[in-house]
Amino acid sequence: MKNSITTNIFALLMLVLCTTIVQGQAKKGSVLIKNGTVLTITDGTLENTDVLVKDGKIDRIGKNLKAPRGAEEVDATGLFVMPGIIDAHSHIAGSSINEGTSQVTAEVSMEDVVDPLDVSIYRALAGGVTSIHLMHGSANVIGGQNETLKLRWGSTNPNDLRFEGAPRTIKFALGENPTRGGRSRGIQPQSRMGVEAMLRNTFNDAIKYRDAWNEYRANKNSRKVAPEYSLRMETMVDILEGEVLVHCHSYRADEIYMLMKVFADFGIEKLTFQHANEAYKVAPELAEFGASASVFADWWAYKLEVYYSTAYNAAILTKNGVTTSINSDSGELIRHLFHEAAKTQKYGDLSDNEALALITLNPAKQLGINDRVGSLEKGKDADIAIFDKHPLSIYAVPQMTFVDGVKYFDINNDAADQRIYIDPESTIQDVQIFYAEDQHRCMEGADVINFYDLLNKQ
Amino acid sequence: MNKLRKSLFRLLLILPMLGIAMVANGQSDPTGKSEATRTYAITNATIVQAPGKIMEEGTIVIKDGLITAIGKNVSIPSNAEVIDGTDMYLYPGFIDGMSNTAADRPEAMERPDNLFTPDPPNDYAGITPEHHVAGQIDVEENSIDGMRKVGFAISHTVPYGRMLPGSGALLLLRDVDHADDMILSEDVSMFTQFSGAPGAYPGNTLGIMAKFRTLYRNAEYSKKHADMYAENPAGISRPTRDRVSEAFYPVVTNQKPIFYDASSSLEARRAMRLQKELGFSLVLGNLQEGWDLADEIKASGTKVFMSLDLPKEPKASKEDDKSEEMAKLEERRMEFYKKYVSQYSELKNAGVKFGFSTIDTRGNQVKDNLMTIIENGLSEDDALAALTTNPADLLGISEMVGTLDQGKIGNVIVSTGPYFEKDSQLKYVFVDGDKHEYEIKDNKKKSGDTENSESTSEGSSSIVGTWSYSFTTPQGEQTGSMIIKKDGDFYTGTLTSDDGTPDNDMVNISFVNDALDFEFSVDAGGQSIDVVVNGTVTENEYEAEATVTAFNISFPLLATKEAPEK
Repeated sequence: MKNSITTNIFALLMLVLCTTIVQGQAKKGSVLIKNGTVLTITDGTLENTDVLVKDGKIDRIGKNLKAPRGAEEVDATGLFVMPGIIDAHSHIAGSSINEGTSQVTAEVSMEDVVDPLDVSIYRALAGGVTSIHLMHGSANVIGGQNETLKLRWGSTNPNDLRFEGAPRTIKFALGENPTRGGRSRGIQPQSRMGVEAMLRNTFNDAIKYRDAWNEYRANKNSRKVAPEYSLRMETMVDILEGEVLVHCHSYRADEIYMLMKVFADFGIEKLTFQHANEAYKVAPELAEFGASASVFADWWAYKLEVYYSTAYNAAILTKNGVTTSINSDSGELIRHLFHEAAKTQKYGDLSDNEALALITLNPAKQLGINDRVGSLEKGKDADIAIFDKHPLSIYAVPQMTFVDGVKYFDINNDAADQRIYIDPESTIQDVQIFYAEDQHRCMEGADVINFYDLLNKQ
Repeated sequence: MNKLRKSLFRLLLILPMLGIAMVANGQSDPTGKSEATRTYAITNATIVQAPGKIMEEGTIVIKDGLITAIGKNVSIPSNAEVIDGTDMYLYPGFIDGMSNTAADRPEAMERPDNLFTPDPPNDYAGITPEHHVAGQIDVEENSIDGMRKVGFAISHTVPYGRMLPGSGALLLLRDVDHADDMILSEDVSMFTQFSGAPGAYPGNTLGIMAKFRTLYRNAEYSKKHADMYAENPAGISRPTRDRVSEAFYPVVTNQKPIFYDASSSLEARRAMRLQKELGFSLVLGNLQEGWDLADEIKASGTKVFMSLDLPKEPKASKEDDKSEEMAKLEERRMEFYKKYVSQYSELKNAGVKFGFSTIDTRGNQVKDNLMTIIENGLSEDDALAALTTNPADLLGISEMVGTLDQGKIGNVIVSTGPYFEKDSQLKYVFVDGDKHEYEIKDNKKKSGDTENSESTSEGSSSIVGTWSYSFTTPQGEQTGSMIIKKDGDFYTGTLTSDDGTPDNDMVNISFVNDALDFEFSVDAGGQSIDVVVNGTVTENEYEAEATVTAFNISFPLLATKEAPEK
């Protein structure tokens, strides 16, 4: 008897899941979340308050609201309602991470390799995450463009996960990772000095490229000849013109300061430092430049340049007026970013609101999507996470996660096997809850040991 | 006198030419294999002229490469070889939408120094769209007969390589001395795939997508420049030669389609994404996961050649104390197997007209896989259409081939029974009017008599034993033993090496219809590298190709089974 009920529920879930897959196209939902403790981020904490969502947008936040006809009602009595968590540094949902085959690959874009079938997406939803910044790796100085996604799980179409309207962003990398490649091959850059030179040279090339094309476009002659087209230089020009936000992998204070000088020289303003373990040493300078930082709560010492670190980093940056976020860079940490944010209360005494902003409004600002998400406000997208306890409590467990008002995770309706595509030739033994390789993909595909040589030249 | 000398002199000049002509026509063939006539008549046969169009007790005349007559009362030329077609079934020769048939994989290129550059040598990066597959054709290639003997008469063959290996050609699968004699039309497609260069740009999908856009846009500008210059060079800088851009010219003007090897649904969507951005004419080849794509394929006007490669049917574990979780996982795995095998009928019902591609399929899998596809919903007529009329349409050659009609090329297959019946076999395959005859195996004998096995025995025990193998890489030959055992329903195996390196386990061993496949991993500096081996067993010989999946490079592997010790 028990078995048959389980089987029925399972079959029902599969049916629900399959319907989701078929419908696919960026759905919008309507829902009334009643009587919860609403953590708005921008307007404090509202007790016993309803959040009304219509067609994917927050329509009203207030008391005694009525659900529109047909909209689901969620009783949030005793529960905590917060904006969906945003991870400003992620490598889940990508078929490839690095095009690490040369030092400047600005032309490549993670939007080409979005993998909507990655189960890590569902696991992130189960941790209250609604948006991620799918980043290129850190194998080269100027890596690829990143892609901001909404975790609309269940679609097989990569386009459905795109955060429509989000600004373009690109990955830069300083320090050990990009110089490792240069040193092993005996070419530039082998040191931090080489990285700076390479950045300046590339921007100067982009200026020349822009001039050549401007001249071509201004030329009234009908028999004009176009300069060589380069998608790489096109992207560099877009950075110079402020259309692409730069997110730079960095650790040491000296290299962070260096990049701000380079950007000041080229007039580029939008800059976020990723990892930035030593950012606390240059916090006032960052604030003055207007640069932001996306950091780990307490993770360091995995290589030499990451030894001089402190768990107070996020708090020091916040107190200095630097827009700061806490990211996961991991398919595992992404499932409990609320724990990571809470650590800043132990190390740095941040307020509830300051700590929660590290994983909501601040990453939204860094990705240029804070007009759409990052807080619970009328008119914003209904990307919402519901917790059973205050999300900064170690006992908090995510209950439901909504994107555009559509529920993609519900702890009470949580089928064990969430895979969307299954290889019929796979063995059952290969089905794993946790893949170690989800953890850190920053240098994936950029092996410094050359396997091809090993195989071919022995 | 003078006149006579002049005439004799002329005769002397002409004689050698006559001689050559006589050899060519007269076929003085010391092997005695050449046919006495190129005129054939197959009489009293069931002729399936096209899907659903069947003529009973019909006769077909094939003369000098063409179908010259077809009907019930057809006069048979006096010089025809007459084949009694009683109980035989005739079909149009099949057309393969995308394959490597007849092409020879070029040797792995020497890795140049200093590859860490945005602009590595095109040859190494795999960007050679100016190449033609004709340069890779080997008239001795086993795949020519391997595909012909299951019914294929025409293959759209694309070259081996990486991102942009070159253009494809339509080949008639004939036995000839020169590649040119196989070519029906050359340069019909630009072939591309998501195959990065090992350690060089473009290394993976990220670089490939960006590189494709860059090449395409540059070709558009470059073509404008070249056209302007051709019209009037005065005052215009001389366009520099760029063979890659030039190869793209017919693509940017929509005169030549892009054939994209896109097996997964994500690859297919990425190819369609490029098509949408750039506007070329797209053909998806080798599609293996198409069940979610019907709407997008139709909306984008993309043409499709579905893969004839199917996953192996998963087998549920027979354990009695199987957990509920295990049973559910097995159930879902089977659900997805069904998606693969039933997508053909679903796509057909959704209005997608497709042909087949065998680029990942061996000849001896073709019929079994067709039967599986039919068992899972595709009608026999639709399967035949996907093998004949659809690819002829999609490739723009339906005037010449695809049906059995007077005036078409003499591509005819002759089967001992309806093709889509398990026990039917092909007796003849005519390609370009040439007869290829195949031995009919006695199926009953095999199941009934246990007369000690003939060479073609598919008895499952036949691969068990010790084989000595040789594996040739550019660094030389590696030899050792391949020891295969049978454990219940499963094979297990070990690869030993004569040079003392550690043994490797053979995994996922499968042996079906003479096709022996397995995988193994080698340790290279702490990193495990997977090698997939696919090949065919003939008597005691195993001929296979070992592919290093990470780099998409292959090496030949040969093995001979040792006689069992007493």
